[in-house]
Amino acid sequence: MDGGVPAGEIDKTIVNFIRVVRGADVRVSVAETLDAVAVVNFVGWEDRELLKQGLSLAVAKTPEEKTRFNACFDAFFAAVADNDEHEDDDDRPDAPVETDDKLAQMLLDADQSELMVAMEEAATEVGIENIKFFTQRGLYTQRIMRQMGLEGLDAAIREAQAGEGSGQGQGQGEGGDPSGQGGGEASTLEAARARLFEATRDLVEKRLSLYGSETSRDLREGRLRRSRLGNLDRRDQEEMRRLVAKIAKRLAALHSRKPKRRNRGTLDLRRTMRRNYANDGIMFDLEWKRKKIAKPKVMAICDVSGSVATVARFLLQFLYALHDILNDVRSFAFSGKLIETSDFFKRHDVDTAVDHVMNAVGYMPTDYGHSFENFREQGFLDDLDKRTTVVILGDGRTNNTEPRADILKEIHERSKRILWLNPEPPPLWGTGDSEILRYRPYCHMHREVNTLAHLERFVNELVHVVKASS
Amino acid sequence: MLEQHAAKLADIDAITNGFAELGYICSKSIATAIFIAGNLEKPILVEGPAGVGKTELANTMAAFMDLPMIRLQCYEGLDEAKALYEWRYAKQLLYTQILRDKIGEVLGGAETLAASMDKLHQHSDLFFSEQFVAPRPILQAMREEGGSILLIDEIDKADHEFEAFLLEVLSEFQVSIPELGTIKAKQKPFVFLTSNNTRELSDALKRRCLHLYVPFPEAKLEQQILRARVPDLTDALMQQLVAFVQGVRELDLKKHPSVSETLDWARALMLLNASELDGDLVRQTLNIILKFEEDITVVDRQALELVRMSEKAVRR
Repeated sequence: MDGGVPAGEIDKTIVNFIRVVRGADVRVSVAETLDAVAVVNFVGWEDRELLKQGLSLAVAKTPEEKTRFNACFDAFFAAVADNDEHEDDDDRPDAPVETDDKLAQMLLDADQSELMVAMEEAATEVGIENIKFFTQRGLYTQRIMRQMGLEGLDAAIREAQAGEGSGQGQGQGEGGDPSGQGGGEASTLEAARARLFEATRDLVEKRLSLYGSETSRDLREGRLRRSRLGNLDRRDQEEMRRLVAKIAKRLAALHSRKPKRRNRGTLDLRRTMRRNYANDGIMFDLEWKRKKIAKPKVMAICDVSGSVATVARFLLQFLYALHDILNDVRSFAFSGKLIETSDFFKRHDVDTAVDHVMNAVGYMPTDYGHSFENFREQGFLDDLDKRTTVVILGDGRTNNTEPRADILKEIHERSKRILWLNPEPPPLWGTGDSEILRYRPYCHMHREVNTLAHLERFVNELVHVVKASS
Repeated sequence: MLEQHAAKLADIDAITNGFAELGYICSKSIATAIFIAGNLEKPILVEGPAGVGKTELANTMAAFMDLPMIRLQCYEGLDEAKALYEWRYAKQLLYTQILRDKIGEVLGGAETLAASMDKLHQHSDLFFSEQFVAPRPILQAMREEGGSILLIDEIDKADHEFEAFLLEVLSEFQVSIPELGTIKAKQKPFVFLTSNNTRELSDALKRRCLHLYVPFPEAKLEQQILRARVPDLTDALMQQLVAFVQGVRELDLKKHPSVSETLDWARALMLLNASELDGDLVRQTLNIILKFEEDITVVDRQALELVRMSEKAVRR
């Protein structure tokens, strides 16, 4: 352990660092925090590279997390580095700078390093690590400057101005500042004050991006979850994809336990013997080998015409992110015609695949009847069986073409269930060219889905029913 | 930790050099991981693409520390009976038969039923006792007096349930056998877990381990590895080879060539007495580093370009 630093201080720095890392969306448990403290105690603070690798072992547990961790580490320790370096200077007084003459003196001397140290100390004093929102920037800037002795400085400026005005007043600063050399002292001080303000504001902004990211991320994610997918800004798309991946991972973890069921036929000799000790080794209570059951099939048929495309994109991202559980997912996309898209997803990652799908069939006027005919012609009906759950995503707006509900009826008869997701809100169902009411009788479920929150709930239920009924 | 172990793990350079002597060239991050995990006595979870030397790391550690290596290969359906412990059923059955023969002596002519039950209870129950436990790899590792290296290989291939069995082992270094109670490790083993990331491991498991990610090595490190493992290779060919493989890893392939495949390729080129790479030679031997027909087609198309690039790398 670093001999010169008391234990409490280590904990505070490392705890602050862990908060920053969590803010960057790296999951760190309490146990891992303790590990991190153990690593710090073991390797010390001097060797930054060693510390970085050590902490990364204890804290970041996936390659992506390691990348984010490294960025955090560099940002965090760059921020406290200056502070640390000057901590070693013995001649610097420990108490925070309070008197005006000190601050004014420092500004006049333009001793940058000393000024930065004072600023860091003041920042720690006012608890800068609690900053959460960008609206708090002004507040914290003011607090830090006051902590550094802004009032004294202002008084000095006022006096210097008064002094200049009356043509005297040298050396009459509140603290007996002897450095007032007349001339432009007031304006020099004022300029210095402005520089100080800029520097403080810089510091606060840097800390905000370090400490505030957690809270602002929560806010942003909450908003994204509830907003209509169709109205998403372009700049939100990236964030949304990340969010979907995160939720999908959680759902996967939630549902990843595989159910087991007895499969009569094979005797499990070991278990049988174990169980029949009580019967003097005579095996009449038989134990059968268990076998994992085949996983259920899901077919997703997505409308990828203009308005529905965004929802389709995220639905597909969900379904393919859950391939661990729903390993037999086939997907189809249609607007004017229908194609199977499973291959795109096998060969590329979800983002690229969705782009390919959109290029192939996206953004054409929808023709449900023709698309259903395509589905039948290409023989996909024969792939349906009583283990298949069919998920259809679409608004049912047929552009006044023949809806061919009879094919949907056929799908209905051959599959286990049809779940219809509709991005339109209920009041619009059946209005205009919407034929949804004719499709609806053949669906086991028909629901409005147009926000991420809806999607999450639906996918969660889907996994649940699909698994329970298999 | 025993003193002789602590001495070997005293600093990072000693670890790097010791591993290098055993033919394992490790990057700084690997050496740091061994250093910290060894001294904090925490299990290490090693992740990375196949063939970057994850299993080899544990093997080398065993040789370096001069400890027995106990390996548990995971697969679907692995359960605690195969990983932790098992009862010796045949012996248990024999025991009950012996007991039946000797029951008269044990009871010693007790008159009433209550008295004979008392006698029977006084008789120690050997049926579920340590004599009848057949240790499997994990329990074996716990029982090693001088410590051991426990390698739990490809943990991602095991079931979720099995991960849960491991939690107690990894955090407390102990094993609970319901009939016997808890067996604590005599000397904490150094535990390595490896994963190829075919599925996401549970957070509970990750929380208990330090996490080391081993990526494909950089060109310089790969050259060092080649020099250590295939010492007869000429410098020029080695540099060319590494530059070529590094180039191939940039391409969009189903499976990228790993370090072990680079080594195989180097050995094959030695056999063919090649002094430098050229288009034909590369085409003929591509199947050593690439295992999918599609990948071979992709690389084949760009072979000449890659060869040219690797020649440039040598000249530099």
